[in-house]
Amino acid sequence: MSLGEERLESIRMIRDSAAALAPRKDLKRVRALRFSEPGFDRGLWRQMCAMGWVGLRVPELEGGSGLGMAELCALAEELGAALVPEPLVAGVVAAHLLNGTDLADHIAGRRLFIPAWQEWAGSLEFDGGEMRLRDGRLSGRKLFVPMAAGADAYVLSVPHGVAIVPAATEGMSRDLEQAQDGGHYATLTLAGVPVQPIAMERRRIADALDEAALATAAYLLGVAEQAFALTLEYLCTRKQFGQPIGSFQALQHRAVDLRLQLALSRASIGGAAAVLDGEAAPAARQAAVSRAKARAADAALLVTRQAVQLHGAIGYTDEFDIGLFLRKAMTLANLYGSAAQHRARYARLTPSTAEATA
Amino acid sequence: MSTAAANQAQSATQLDELNALDDEAFRQQVRAFLRTHYPEELRFPVKRLHWAQIKPWYLTLSRHGWVAPGWAREYGGMGLSAAKQIIYMEEFESYGVARAPDMGIVMLGPLLIRYGSEAQKQFFLPRILSGEHIWCQGYSEPNSGSDLASLRTEAVQEGDHWVVNGQKTWTTLATDANWIFVLVRTDRGAKKQEGISFLLVPMDSPGVTVRPLLNLDLHDEFCEVFFDAVKVPCDNLVGQVNHGWSMAKALLGFERIFIGSPKQSAYALKRLLALVEHLGIAAEPLCVERVARFRMELEDHTLLYETFAERLKRGESLGPDVSLLKINQCELYQRITEYMLEIAGEHAGLLEPIDGIRDLNAAGLFLQSRVTTIYGGSSEIQRNILAKHVLDLPG
Repeated sequence: MSLGEERLESIRMIRDSAAALAPRKDLKRVRALRFSEPGFDRGLWRQMCAMGWVGLRVPELEGGSGLGMAELCALAEELGAALVPEPLVAGVVAAHLLNGTDLADHIAGRRLFIPAWQEWAGSLEFDGGEMRLRDGRLSGRKLFVPMAAGADAYVLSVPHGVAIVPAATEGMSRDLEQAQDGGHYATLTLAGVPVQPIAMERRRIADALDEAALATAAYLLGVAEQAFALTLEYLCTRKQFGQPIGSFQALQHRAVDLRLQLALSRASIGGAAAVLDGEAAPAARQAAVSRAKARAADAALLVTRQAVQLHGAIGYTDEFDIGLFLRKAMTLANLYGSAAQHRARYARLTPSTAEATA
Repeated sequence: MSTAAANQAQSATQLDELNALDDEAFRQQVRAFLRTHYPEELRFPVKRLHWAQIKPWYLTLSRHGWVAPGWAREYGGMGLSAAKQIIYMEEFESYGVARAPDMGIVMLGPLLIRYGSEAQKQFFLPRILSGEHIWCQGYSEPNSGSDLASLRTEAVQEGDHWVVNGQKTWTTLATDANWIFVLVRTDRGAKKQEGISFLLVPMDSPGVTVRPLLNLDLHDEFCEVFFDAVKVPCDNLVGQVNHGWSMAKALLGFERIFIGSPKQSAYALKRLLALVEHLGIAAEPLCVERVARFRMELEDHTLLYETFAERLKRGESLGPDVSLLKINQCELYQRITEYMLEIAGEHAGLLEPIDGIRDLNAAGLFLQSRVTTIYGGSSEIQRNILAKHVLDLPG
């Protein structure tokens, strides 16, 4: 279960370079990008590509870094702690679904591909029958495409594979909706767009989405850890009744309960990353991801809600940073599957009878 | 070669082989061991067994070198990795193996290995493993519970002896034990933490009296122990005089990781699964949801436990954050037994297990789980410790 020294070192290096590229305490940049288009900085995206992050999971032979889920989770956590809006997780999903020049361009930052897989709100189904492919023409709708305004092209899941559609394509319309964290989602509507579908096994797409769910869990952990750190600082400095409010037992015990949820989330995510990096069967891999995502989503919402509560009225203002963490958690908690969906999937995937677990 | 020495050599080879197995093969070995050796009539006991009932099993474990999974091999332990220790425990739980007296294995052994003199290690450790010495713990006193450092049982040195006077309480299975490790005050003038020593006392010393108490589960599991001018040889003091508190705290660390292991929750979850099947509600959506939640919680807890167990195995000392484990395990255990009580219908209020089936003991398990957030430092005390020493909160 425990990682070897070599991987621990590579994880430390990733954390350090993430902290250097996206400092936790600098939220001015994050604020300035909120509710703007495309909502992130293409220059920084190119730097992230240059660091090898977008191709982190791509095998070295195909030009990537060939690193594991433990590394991706460490990176996502660091970016989460800094509320980085650049769409790393979506970028990593796209890298899983691309080949050849597209892949090379994508991980080098020359062109940005954003995955468009979802067909129903609150669903993990990427091939739900909404897309119709007839005589090489694609029609249908894709929902909740993240940071779509910055994409050069979309990778759509279609029956039996994927199709690549450039951003400005006749016959495809793009409607943007603002998200609570200052980013946005697009709905893509296609009416007979000519495409050349690329055949792909369902497993490959499903695996990419599972990795995205786990990386999102890690990102949420980073969000929650940083919100908790800021809250602890506040408990130590804010004085009422002549003493720091962190000296009150009721608040101390609540802070401990939040720390416990963070520790469990970290253990759960680490365990799931080890399962994905190992040789487990598909059902066991998905169950581990579901367990970690459910835990992280619940924990991140709990911690960021309590962070606002423990800050009192200042926490309810938009100009104070703690609210940014709550809004980020609200946006990501249900992305790639909500806690409820993942619990249901876990229950489906793993036997729950007395004999099966005996 | 004597028979004993031959047995020892044989079990040493077997332990080498066990350690070399991959986890799944190891699990199968443990399972096979239990099927072969564990007495059927002692599976899933409703209450904690007394020494007379569990002794043959303890001796079987001892003969095979299986008593102390976490101790290093050089001290007669199994030297298992954290992952294998967890498997060992899981298999014991799922087979319904009764808890043997384990104060010597879990608490005193690791303490002596770390702080004991060479003579103490050589004398006591083999006797713990052989079952010759059964230990109990003398920490709490009637007026020193959460504020343990205020304890007043006193030891005064007279020549080559300490003379002990005072009272300990909540001493689990003291009636079965023949030795007790006690915290005693050896300097009344010092700051309360700085005048405490750690003493090993034979229970048959003149002046030691034990009085069992019935607990909420109507079991005579814990006891009061009275010391009336009990003479204890000076050699029986562990570490230095007046330095007992830091050792005691280290011991509490061992206790917290032991209580914080997934054991009790895993046991309760197994019983819950059996119960929902017995009641025919296993497929009901609300039940599926609750059970899935518990199973996910247990997996997460087990992963958290492994991170602590690995630290211990690397030889790092446990920090105060081990309290997180203790809190979470005990509260999870209770959430599971509370749900069992909720679905048990009128059986929730009956003294006997459901339909006379021993492992469907919802009410009993519910009651037994109550003590876990009180003993070994209450959940409230653990939260105080975490707030102060892990989160560095003021005051």
